Amino acid sequence: MSEPLLSARGLRLAFGGVRAADGIDLDVLRGEFLAIIGPNGAGKTTFINMTTGYLRPQAGTITYEGQPITGLQPRAIVRRGVARSFQLPQLFTEHTVEENVALALAARDGVWSPLAPLLRPRWRDEARETLERFGLTALADARADALNEGARKLADIAMAVALKPRLLLMDEPTSGVAASEKMGIVETLVRVLREAKVTAVFVEHDMDVVERFADRVAVWSQGRIAALGPPAEVLADPVVQREVIGIERHA
Amino acid sequence: MAEWFQDNSGLLGLALLDGLASAGLIFLVAVGLNLVFGVLRIVNVAHGSLYAIGAYAAASVGIFFASLGLPAWASLPALFIAAALVGVVLGPLIERFILRRIYGQEEVLQLLVTFALFMILEDVQKLIWGVQPVQHDVAMRYLGTFDVPFAGDVVPFTAYQLFVLPGVALVVLVGLAWFLRRTLTGRVIVAVTTDREAATAMGIDARRVFLLTFTFGAILAALGGALSSPTGAIVPGIGPQTIVLSFAVVATAGLGQTEGAALTALMIGLGRSIAVYFEPELEVVVPYIIMLAVLLVRPQGLFGTTTTRRI
Repeated sequence: MSEPLLSARGLRLAFGGVRAADGIDLDVLRGEFLAIIGPNGAGKTTFINMTTGYLRPQAGTITYEGQPITGLQPRAIVRRGVARSFQLPQLFTEHTVEENVALALAARDGVWSPLAPLLRPRWRDEARETLERFGLTALADARADALNEGARKLADIAMAVALKPRLLLMDEPTSGVAASEKMGIVETLVRVLREAKVTAVFVEHDMDVVERFADRVAVWSQGRIAALGPPAEVLADPVVQREVIGIERHA
Repeated sequence: MAEWFQDNSGLLGLALLDGLASAGLIFLVAVGLNLVFGVLRIVNVAHGSLYAIGAYAAASVGIFFASLGLPAWASLPALFIAAALVGVVLGPLIERFILRRIYGQEEVLQLLVTFALFMILEDVQKLIWGVQPVQHDVAMRYLGTFDVPFAGDVVPFTAYQLFVLPGVALVVLVGLAWFLRRTLTGRVIVAVTTDREAATAMGIDARRVFLLTFTFGAILAALGGALSSPTGAIVPGIGPQTIVLSFAVVATAGLGQTEGAALTALMIGLGRSIAVYFEPELEVVVPYIIMLAVLLVRPQGLFGTTTTRRI
């Protein structure tokens, strides 16, 4: 953990009268797991959308590995090494789990490449290897729409990891997952990402997950970062406990 | 009833064969319209113009081949060459310079833009080919007729309409299903159709998928027109007639349904053709009566669902 991998400075974006980003300054450090917490509507997903090119900030800059990426197309940003997963897993339901991951690999290497037909066996092998790392081998041939929510979340993130990102932004990777499955899923996720040396930013509502797995936590409130630091410190802050965690626990 | 069938078996046989041939053509155009809508989310009113231009171009290429002294069989590949030329030239031009500017815009604007394009292309056809009927039926005459046994009777029918039209439609139906499910490009198209946001998150170039899909849809429309050209005179107005019929097929089947569009095209083709032989005044309205009846009961179409979109 040293110099920032991603830096956001003065990000502003409003939808009508709602300020989804009201001067966001944030450094994401190399190799860290940064959790973003905050009530619904605080602008957490907006930050991910701006960073990955799905929304263009009205003001401010985002740099990744020292290069500006503000306003670039999502495709250009993912090619630079910034991948994302969505709150609702975005699997292609007509394909099997393995085909989904193989498609991500094809997208990474270039689906229009004249070498694509030659690369197909490699993509298949790599897809199987990726699924094995995520403990999804038994589901490789299952159609994506037949998976339970936990497996869908993992498969979705497996697709993002297959892109070989250096930074992965995950929007609520455990939402909708049964409580009994949650910790197991996060453990798998963290292990794979650590092995692959992927820096991760994840939006999370479960404070136990944040406390256990995040290196730092950023508290979002009304489009601003209200607090930032190690989980033990931030989550113990009485204001955060009252205004954020209280809301989260009752949500 | 049995007596009626006995008395009309010849006519009924002709109606069924005619319906099958016409269903093949309608399917080709409707499936292209469906594919373009599924991927680009644009209802392309100008799709019918590509059908008409395909028909005119096929006649022109056929006449050109004949002027070179090529044998009559060359008029068959001429139909496919003309369709490919129309699709490959006009498809990218329309997608790149017109449609790309209206992606994600309001549906009303998209309809107006493609309608304006349709009007322009109608005039372009008149400028190039005039308003007099154009006919070049060498391909159909070359294949001759075939005696089809039907209900103890024999119905002579052109081999072209009996084999080529339904045959090409069947090849397109099976080939498209194989292409979309088994090839990488097909899977990419399905991915963009299912979830464009997720596909771009993986780094897939959605714009290239749009260009490819629209060009393919344009080739299918032009192929429908080209294959129809030997079966009768090509006159101004065939574009609008075809696009309206294709809309009826797509709406009746459900947006985004390929196999469903094939069955619906068959239903509408047969319904229309039976009307032609037995109640000619109903010919024009039969497809729309079928469409209305289906949509009143199932607004999402016969095979459509309200939650998923397929191509």
